[in-house]
Amino acid sequence: MTPLTDTDPPITMRSELKELWKFRELLKMLVARELKVRYKNSALGFIWSIIPPLMQVLVFTFLLRNLLGVAAKNFSAYLLSGIIPWTFFSTGIQDASQSVVINYTMIRKIYLPREAIPLANVISNGVHFLLGWAVYFVAFLVIAPLFHGGIPILPTLVFFPFVVVMEALLVTGCALFVAALNVFYEDVKFILQTVFNLAFFIMPVLYPSDQIYYTSSLVQKHPWIYTLYMLNPIAAFINAFRHFILQPIGPSAFNQSPRLLGKPALPFDWTTFGGACLITLFIAWGGYAYFNYRKWQFVERP
Amino acid sequence: MTSTDNAIVVHDLHKHFRIRYRTHLKTRMLNLFKRQPPLQEFTALRNISFTVPRGQTVAVIGRNGSGKSTLLCLLAKVYRKTSGTIQMSAADGTAARVAPLLDLSAGFHLDLTGAENILFYGAVLGNTAREMRNCFDSIVEFAELGSKVDTHLRNWNEGARLRLGFSIAVHTNPDILLVDEVLAVGDEAFQAKCYAYIRKMQSLGKTIVFVTHDLRTVERVAQRVIWLNQGNVQMDGDVGEVLQAYRVFSAGAAFSDGPV
Repeated sequence: MTPLTDTDPPITMRSELKELWKFRELLKMLVARELKVRYKNSALGFIWSIIPPLMQVLVFTFLLRNLLGVAAKNFSAYLLSGIIPWTFFSTGIQDASQSVVINYTMIRKIYLPREAIPLANVISNGVHFLLGWAVYFVAFLVIAPLFHGGIPILPTLVFFPFVVVMEALLVTGCALFVAALNVFYEDVKFILQTVFNLAFFIMPVLYPSDQIYYTSSLVQKHPWIYTLYMLNPIAAFINAFRHFILQPIGPSAFNQSPRLLGKPALPFDWTTFGGACLITLFIAWGGYAYFNYRKWQFVERP
Repeated sequence: MTSTDNAIVVHDLHKHFRIRYRTHLKTRMLNLFKRQPPLQEFTALRNISFTVPRGQTVAVIGRNGSGKSTLLCLLAKVYRKTSGTIQMSAADGTAARVAPLLDLSAGFHLDLTGAENILFYGAVLGNTAREMRNCFDSIVEFAELGSKVDTHLRNWNEGARLRLGFSIAVHTNPDILLVDEVLAVGDEAFQAKCYAYIRKMQSLGKTIVFVTHDLRTVERVAQRVIWLNQGNVQMDGDVGEVLQAYRVFSAGAAFSDGPV
């Protein structure tokens, strides 16, 4: 028999991960439930995770080609390589932010490691993320070449899984943080909506990040602002995805601005990317630490 | 008696809650410079100690707000205790498998079928999908579901959901059952079946802790009663003795106005 202890063992990251591992079966069930329930009452089911980004790409390709005169070959591939990671980032975090509140009746009555709930949300969104990439590669490596289009296979593709893992860590950290915060301040939901709407245009989703570097006079004067911008993990990862799977194109192909004429594509900055990865690790750790700090207050929120 | 003969050992247990009287950020900003602290400490349980021998059925009674449900939630690990010790062990000295029947339909998802929910709820209670498939048929049979098990829970009546919840919880082979007032639901026939099952659990040597306001149930099922009053153990002992005192207390409380 174990000796009596006067207090619960302290919550450490290690003890909590161990506990989560004990409940891995439940985590699997939660993920399966998320995936099942989402398209439960729809006729097309899983296809709905692919249609919205495709429509987005169609609309944006049409708009940007005709309004801004984007001339880049395979523009939709550049666009999609931004939209896929962006969608995982924004939907993953926004879905997870509501997850604890949605399952509140359950955690009030039954013990389970509470991080399993937002984690299940992130994982199910991660499945859609990977599915999006699968469609992407099939489209541009298999189908498009039949019509004399498509993208070449670059050796840097080996770094692709690493960026996938990094982005998953980023989304997990943010998701745990906002899921815990949202239990106490339901303003989180509205803040997130606003922030993500805005960030969609500030982050290099619809355009390559070089555009920021060349077109902003502020950045031209103070180049460190661009470094700061690229230290932001989501900007860094979208940029990394593009660099690792697509050939660099000079910025003038995306924008007719005279400032960009004849400018070369910026080389990939490994140092800044490394910095963004470190920040991601910190976010993942911090998000989980905050969740652990808060998780026992969920059911007795003052 | 060695300590492993005790299923539950609770020692000097305290539970404080913090209550916030002003919840909005705006009001809190406005009241930032006022004296009154926004959080007030509230003691739900104070200095609780008791030991439940293996195989005993204990009823916890008391008025509303006396801390019964808090105690059960602490045993079910839904709350984290403020201080003290809770120890629940199985016959072999390992950590006990606890089946919390605090709210029978809490672990369900209405957009899944009964069969999917059995696997899911089973996992919530710490069982693998394989273990659940093994006892799948007896769960369905006990809950009197028939072919309904393959339809969505959304279309079920409340009684059927509760039957499923009870059936899953008792079929996961728990060492300790925690029951909160849930047997009051369901029709007469199912209640009778539940009591029959509880007797079976008792004869199998399972430990049961249940909360109820129905004193007749206590007389029927319990071997011991713990009476909580305002977060303290008021009385702990033999069923007849405690119930008699509690009835006198309740009758007195009904006629007096102020807090007792």
